[in-house]
Amino acid sequence: MNGKFRKISKKDLLIGLDRIINDGRKLAALTRKGEKVLYDYVTKSDEILMQYIPTVLSPKKFFLPQDEVILEYTTKGKVTAKIEAESMVLFGIKPCDLHGIKILDEAFAESNGDPNYLAKREKSLIIGLDCSRLCDEKAFCYKVNAQNITTGCDFMLHNTGIDFAVTVYTEKGAEQLDKYFQTEIKSENILDDFNQAKAAAFSKFGTFKQLKQLPEIFENNKNHSVWQTEGDKCLSCGSCILVCPTCYCFDVADEMALNLKKGERIRRWDACMLNSFAVVAGNDNFREEPKDRLKHRINRKFNYLMKKHGESVCVGCGRCVRACLVNISPKTIAETITGELSTGG
Amino acid sequence: MNSNNKLNIKPKDENLYLPEKATITKIKNFTDKELFFELELQNNKPLGHIPGQFIQLSILGIGEAPISISSPPGADNKFEICVRAVGDVTNKLHSFNVGDEIFIRGPFGHGFDDSIIQKMYRKHILFIAGGIGYVPLRSLINKVLKEPELYEKISILYGCKTPDEIMYKEEIAEVAEMGKNIEFLKTVDHGDENWTGNTGVITTLIPQVKFNPLNTIAIIAGPPVMYKFVLISLINKGMPKSNIYMSLERRMKCGVGKCGHCKMEGIYVCKEGPVFNYADIENNEEVL
Repeated sequence: MNGKFRKISKKDLLIGLDRIINDGRKLAALTRKGEKVLYDYVTKSDEILMQYIPTVLSPKKFFLPQDEVILEYTTKGKVTAKIEAESMVLFGIKPCDLHGIKILDEAFAESNGDPNYLAKREKSLIIGLDCSRLCDEKAFCYKVNAQNITTGCDFMLHNTGIDFAVTVYTEKGAEQLDKYFQTEIKSENILDDFNQAKAAAFSKFGTFKQLKQLPEIFENNKNHSVWQTEGDKCLSCGSCILVCPTCYCFDVADEMALNLKKGERIRRWDACMLNSFAVVAGNDNFREEPKDRLKHRINRKFNYLMKKHGESVCVGCGRCVRACLVNISPKTIAETITGELSTGG
Repeated sequence: MNSNNKLNIKPKDENLYLPEKATITKIKNFTDKELFFELELQNNKPLGHIPGQFIQLSILGIGEAPISISSPPGADNKFEICVRAVGDVTNKLHSFNVGDEIFIRGPFGHGFDDSIIQKMYRKHILFIAGGIGYVPLRSLINKVLKEPELYEKISILYGCKTPDEIMYKEEIAEVAEMGKNIEFLKTVDHGDENWTGNTGVITTLIPQVKFNPLNTIAIIAGPPVMYKFVLISLINKGMPKSNIYMSLERRMKCGVGKCGHCKMEGIYVCKEGPVFNYADIENNEEVL
């Protein structure tokens, strides 16, 4: 911004994050709970992990919780919409997940805006934390160029080793950065070193050779043998969907309180990989076989929704690959279909 | 700043998950499994639907289910549905009485809009309904029957498994008597001792209708298996795919293109359908 570069020291970063907490705002960040590393609310900045370790669940859970009450009602027929949205700051969100948030923003803001998602999203501030290298061997963000995507956040931090360079993306980001954080304006480009190191770390990895053509290629390969071979392995457990930052399908269910005087309508994560997902009255199932469901899910990432969003909806975070019990990977499927795998690409 | 950050994430004023209250004003027993309901919106506004659209019907504590609107668009706040008891919501609805309250959201979906209706004028309209598929078509059938002179001819083919499953019996008898350019043909898969009409699947009625496939618009609704054979039959007669409209069924959970349950490859049936031109979806593998 303004042709100038801003930086923030590690110390000032932590002070700023504590100010956010002391202001009564919820702060979610990468943290440790027992053996587990996850995104969760923290009460002090020293609970935050700066070094990224892949999490099981993506930050989508803060905007689209696993279970969410959308209506409350009484048996007498009084119905009220319920929207729970608190002022929230997400800190340390990685480029792949920022890309995921952007996809969800577009999906939920479209035509009939989703009131619950948008309310949460509107009250949130998202602080990105750039990656300087691939987080593990399961991640394949580079295949869809998601390591370089920096949209979906309000401002982004780049760890230069000594301190953090800051890139501001939104007006809200600029305003909140000034409100909570002590930053320094630099005239020299402090991002250069970071960018060079990052480019070097990713230099041996390339995108899918025909990244832009993936929708067309997938459209023309509905009968490819990979659907059968990978589908035969699939256990239809749905894990890939629960951990995916861009899967947003949901189920809606009514639950009554024990006194049977009031109840709630709840929306909860659902999974198109589960057998029952496309069943209609009379028990007709429009995706009966695991291969049909796998084809549907992967086509949503690289074809149907990619056409709509104009970019890959798989962000290459690798979470589904880590979660899959039988080693099914969108990367392998896409490489098989594009022919990259057989040519050693 | 990046233009991608300009996306408007401000929530809309209207909550699309909040339903409206409606009162049951009439119930008729059609068959063992299907009941007819007339509903009255308590907000005193017309539902504002077009033929082919659906509502999400709620029974608090039980859940929500997509239900076709079976009455033609009207000026008052009443509309009709016909419901087969197959799931939690529909079974509960069958236990309700006149005066009871339910909740609805909608109307939703892309129905038989003006562009389709205009394409139908001066054409031979061939309705083909199988079983409960008559319900989503009835809204359009009754609209067309209000001004039959706008169409060259109106043929309605209706097939059920048994005579007991035929719905709207009185209304159908009246339509069959209307004469002029209107014909109504029924068939059942299996007749009983009193049945003197056609026996056989619905495709056996198609050869009984004289139609010029190029000047006929076919409108189909029924179980998935029925579409397969009806489509073969019409296309073999030389009907262009773009002359065929289908109303499809999926189990929508949201009705507004979010939950993913009705997705047919890249198409949300709840938004882009449930009414489709066959030419637009013939290559979609998940239609039937």
